[in-house]
Amino acid sequence: MNNQNSNWEQSEIPINKEKETAANKTARELPVYSSRRLLHVVSISGLLVVCVIIVILALTVGSVGIPFKTVWQILISHLPFVNLHGNWSATKDMIITGIRLPRILMAGAVGMALGTAGATYQGLFRNPLADPYLIGVAQGAALGAVIGFILPWKFGGNYLIPILAFAGAVIAVTVVYLIARVGKTIPTTTLILAGVAIGSLLMAVSTYLTMISADKVHSILSWFMGNFSNSSWDQLRIISPYIAIGLVVIFLFARPLNVMQLDEEQAQQLGVNVERTKLILLAAATLITAVAVCFVGTIGFVGIIVPHFVRLIWGPDHRLLLPLSAITGAILLILADTASRTLIAPSEIPVGVITAFLGTPFFLFLLRRNKKAVF
Amino acid sequence: MKLLSLLGPLSVIGIFGLTTCTQTSLPSSVTYVDDIGRTVQINEIPQRIISLSPNNTEMVYALDLQDKLVGVTSYDNYPPEAKNKPVVSDFSTVDLEKIVDANPDLVLADSIQKNDTIPALEKLGITVYTMTPNNIDGIFNEIKALGQITGKTQAADNLVSSLKTRIQAVADKTAQLNDSQKPRVLFVTWHDPIWTAGSDTMIQYLINEAGGTNIASDLNGYATITLESVIERNPQVIVVMSSMGAQSASLDFIKSNEQFQSTDAVKNGWVYEIDADIFGRTTPRIVDGLETLAKLVHPELFK
Repeated sequence: MNNQNSNWEQSEIPINKEKETAANKTARELPVYSSRRLLHVVSISGLLVVCVIIVILALTVGSVGIPFKTVWQILISHLPFVNLHGNWSATKDMIITGIRLPRILMAGAVGMALGTAGATYQGLFRNPLADPYLIGVAQGAALGAVIGFILPWKFGGNYLIPILAFAGAVIAVTVVYLIARVGKTIPTTTLILAGVAIGSLLMAVSTYLTMISADKVHSILSWFMGNFSNSSWDQLRIISPYIAIGLVVIFLFARPLNVMQLDEEQAQQLGVNVERTKLILLAAATLITAVAVCFVGTIGFVGIIVPHFVRLIWGPDHRLLLPLSAITGAILLILADTASRTLIAPSEIPVGVITAFLGTPFFLFLLRRNKKAVF
Repeated sequence: MKLLSLLGPLSVIGIFGLTTCTQTSLPSSVTYVDDIGRTVQINEIPQRIISLSPNNTEMVYALDLQDKLVGVTSYDNYPPEAKNKPVVSDFSTVDLEKIVDANPDLVLADSIQKNDTIPALEKLGITVYTMTPNNIDGIFNEIKALGQITGKTQAADNLVSSLKTRIQAVADKTAQLNDSQKPRVLFVTWHDPIWTAGSDTMIQYLINEAGGTNIASDLNGYATITLESVIERNPQVIVVMSSMGAQSASLDFIKSNEQFQSTDAVKNGWVYEIDADIFGRTTPRIVDGLETLAKLVHPELFK
């Protein structure tokens, strides 16, 4: 089974070959490795700086025009030990620090989660088409959310929909996992197929429930497309610990993930506990995806586009790919959300529409430019 | 399957033939143009009416035609007696067999059914009249049209004039207000994202008539509005649409969410829930809605 798998997987994904040479290089040429490490540090910190600049720029635009200087004064006045009193209104302060800032940070956190989860899934399944929603997270979350929308009782208040969405995502993936498990192993092909099957079943139920939900159709569709319109510090406080823990766990497994690109059997022989690594990475990636979507909805595109984008520019080494996917995911989603809340202000475009419009042309451009390097 | 596809065109020809022949032989028949521009010919006063929307059912009851009503939808809840009528449709699926079985001589449809149900009913030779008014004059026109179709012209005229009198009573009190005396009103159907009603909606009309200013009047139709625009425009009254009989989650959200606390409406406790069945439908009850809204926006004028 494993041998058969490795045949088509290797012919499908040339990344494996690059991986092999990268791994060999690491073993043979230590000097190259250390200069690579420098490159890693420079790339990651450089992209982080870009991300911070984008956060600041995003703060200064919105459907309510607030001058750049006022935005800065408001921000600085909130720093500890600063005693700055300006002539801005409490409303402006609320818009900057109570609405825009948490919203931008939410977009960043969710982008990090989706970008990293996408890179993890693509690495685990050695499949370029994998995204965070491949094995049922989105469909489970969607069904949970739809049930939350149409339930007549108000248990849980504003947290009813996020709780049900999170529960739906985790239950769906657990069911898929249990179905796909063969003895103590979990063949990736079976996992994908089980995920696709359960996913379609759940989606059919959600679609039907949406259809008969009458006055909730608009709200449910907005949730499916994703939106950050009600992001708050409370939401950010709830999701960020989970995302932080998930990201750290995934980053720690970058090296085993690199080795696993060879082939699961070879990775096993090289001392990687393949099944345990798979389980931990699946759990971590699923957790951060479920946390990411539960408040803001199933934003598409980020999870699949971002890892490819990073791979095209910086190569397939997971030690670099995973953190850079996190930062790029954050950047993409902050930009997309900024467009979503400003393009047709004072109204909004669902952020999922923007991620598609922003991501596709850029990605296709890269794809054409590097024709040889991709799949 | 084959038989059906053969029958399809035949039955159309059949109906066509029939209508052209009745047109010449029955000069008393009257032609109406409905809300989706269809020409509907009524040859005699309908005795068996089916309503395919809660709006239409309310209209039928408003003209005292309930004895002729032989089919409704599962969503029809006003007046409460409508729930006892045979159900031939739910919100999205119309049961053609039940409609045919009820043998109606008039089906009152909604414009959302124009691509599926209405052509299907036409093929079956059933007279369909579509009523989906989208403003107050539309409601008056439909009341009058339904009155003429069903021979209740006098009742329809009386209803329209009493509705107009009640609207005028509200307008008389709000007419003297200048712009600064008209509270800024935010209407909300859902909070995440915030869905509101802009210009060219019944809601905007009601807000204006009730002596308020719609803060979303720069939007068109029903649309989302960003939270920061809402905070900036600082509504003094927020009205939240209830949700199909249940209390809306949006009401709790707006009252408890810290971002809304800076609005005058939340500070002063002027956040209200309004009945979606009244404000979301275009029926004579919209005037009840206007009177309710006027009391919320100007409690000092309407006691």
